[in-house]
Amino acid sequence: MHMLRAALAAGMLATAPAWADGLAAGTYKIGFITENTGPIAFAGLSYDHGAQLAAAEISASGYMGAGTGLALVEKESASEPARAIQDMHQFIADRTVLATSCCILSGVVKSLTPIVLGAKIPLVVFGATAPGLPHPPLIYSVTILPGPKDTATAQRAADIIKPKTAAWFVAADNDAFKARMAAAQQAVEAMGVKTAGVVSVLSSDTDFTAPATQAMGLSPDMILIYTTQTPAEGIITALRSRGYDHPIVGNDVLSPQSVVQKMGKTVAGVPFPISFSAALAQTPEAKKFVGDYTARFGAAPDIYSAQGYAAVYMIAQAMKSLSGTPTRETLAAALAEVKQIDHNVYGGEIVTDGQAATQGTLIVAWQPDGTLAPWPAP
Amino acid sequence: MLLFVEQLVNGCALGSLYALFAVGFGLVFATLGILNAAHGTYASWAAIAALAAVQHLGAPFPLAVAAGVVAGGLLALLVDQIAFQPLRGRGGPAKEGGMLGALITSIAFWIMLDSLAGFATGQQSLNFPADSYPARMLHLGALPLPSMQLVTIAAMLLATAGIHALVRHSRFGAAMRAVGWNGAAAALGGVNPRVVIVVTAFLAGATSGLAGVLGGISTQNVSFTLGEGLMLKGFAAVVVGGYDDVRGAAIAGVALGILEVMSAQYLSTSLRDGITYALLLGFLLLRPRGLFGRAAFLRA
Repeated sequence: MHMLRAALAAGMLATAPAWADGLAAGTYKIGFITENTGPIAFAGLSYDHGAQLAAAEISASGYMGAGTGLALVEKESASEPARAIQDMHQFIADRTVLATSCCILSGVVKSLTPIVLGAKIPLVVFGATAPGLPHPPLIYSVTILPGPKDTATAQRAADIIKPKTAAWFVAADNDAFKARMAAAQQAVEAMGVKTAGVVSVLSSDTDFTAPATQAMGLSPDMILIYTTQTPAEGIITALRSRGYDHPIVGNDVLSPQSVVQKMGKTVAGVPFPISFSAALAQTPEAKKFVGDYTARFGAAPDIYSAQGYAAVYMIAQAMKSLSGTPTRETLAAALAEVKQIDHNVYGGEIVTDGQAATQGTLIVAWQPDGTLAPWPAP
Repeated sequence: MLLFVEQLVNGCALGSLYALFAVGFGLVFATLGILNAAHGTYASWAAIAALAAVQHLGAPFPLAVAAGVVAGGLLALLVDQIAFQPLRGRGGPAKEGGMLGALITSIAFWIMLDSLAGFATGQQSLNFPADSYPARMLHLGALPLPSMQLVTIAAMLLATAGIHALVRHSRFGAAMRAVGWNGAAAALGGVNPRVVIVVTAFLAGATSGLAGVLGGISTQNVSFTLGEGLMLKGFAAVVVGGYDDVRGAAIAGVALGILEVMSAQYLSTSLRDGITYALLLGFLLLRPRGLFGRAAFLRA
């Protein structure tokens, strides 16, 4: 009997290294809720492409261990909460899906939160900007929160331009932008800049001639914009076409290359904060990301692509730390241990209480020739 | 005062887009008896076609507008013949109580055409190159007047007057009204309903296409969202103005544009759409035939 026990123990010890040394070989599935159709599909495609590139890189390089790979299982939500919920239920039902990633809109994340927490499936948010979305050990966010960078940009612009008055555009139907504007407004007013007025628009608006007229009627020395991309483009175009020649300050929605391709010189000189820019990529990781992304998708990556890329790498990093065959539970615990995302394109990305962040604020502006340069020019 | 006048002009220009769209939308409803949910997509696709004409063929502004208008008309014709004509063959879409079937079919086409428009634009909001349309800012004293606003208002006035003259003062217009009233009776009277349907569908799509092209240029937004925005406001304009009178739809469209701009300027942006739809509800309750509609012309 002792001999049998000894033989069994020896057998177990002999097989143990196969799983104790690292992640078991195999391709692991991540449920990825895409937003490639619907009102913000222009950004959704970028997130998706960034994630696809990361998954391909991770699988090809054996980043998580020899013989391992990641596969994205994609389901489309069109940014609709109901469809996102349906997608999430399908991922939860499929036990081969170890983790999920989703969402540009904070409201959609909030809709999914109770479902994700109840089912105990890890979720990494790639685009929603509202603070407080993470719920470790299950929900994390790699979105670089724009609020603090908006405030820093507004302060820097006020310091350089030295306006007496400022007018503010805000998306009245978007709580995140309202909060971002309120924080920036408070900071700028504290510098002695008087608020000439606040002009509200809606995210679904397409005609900005009247709001631009309204803002110009306030005669502000500077105009700051806190809206989503399409309204921001429309507002700047309407202001410039009506002859407003004072400074305009934008936000990170102006960062994709497609914005300058569409607007040309109209957007030139409008400062905005940025965490990642293909044109200003410095680190080897960032340069490789730009090169590989451009080769694969025929266009340079933007901040959305970078965040989709980071979401998959965060999951992969947690997977890499596991031994044997991972489960949702072990992966959630491993994600909680990620304090910085090692492979990133920002030159550093820390994770605090489930929320990723980068250091410093880079303020840039598109140039008339379509390139991006630091603002103000050195 | 200058600000008020500026916003009035802005409201007229915006309302002219609603009016143009409403004229086409009302024409389909009055003549063909279809509440066409896909109508907004004609505007989106017309703008996409006009932009393609500019980008790929180097078409000047008038030709680009013409390309968009024709594309809107042809698409409307295609949808009518594929989606609605089979329903007519089974007993008629509206006149014989088939309104619901036509509406559901049109919703299906709305979703399909919207999705295809999204793919056609790469899910991006595109724009016309600045040198492809009249972009000059004119000045009347201290009042700035963007050229495109004047073009939009003029196009609305011309299109409305032309379609009103066609519907009210021509033999073909009489045939359209006859088919709108009773297709079978019109056929007995020597009218070919099929021809009337085809021409009306084309005309309605072309008018909405004109709204789409001008709207796409004015707002610098050529995407699938273009038609969606026009659809809701155009529907409101038709209800307020009256289903069977293009003048009513046009006046109501302009009034809605002015109301929208003025309420955003002097009240609140958040209340803006609420005011528009409160007006719509008020008309549905108190004067369902609209400002200019005849009492006998009630489809709902």
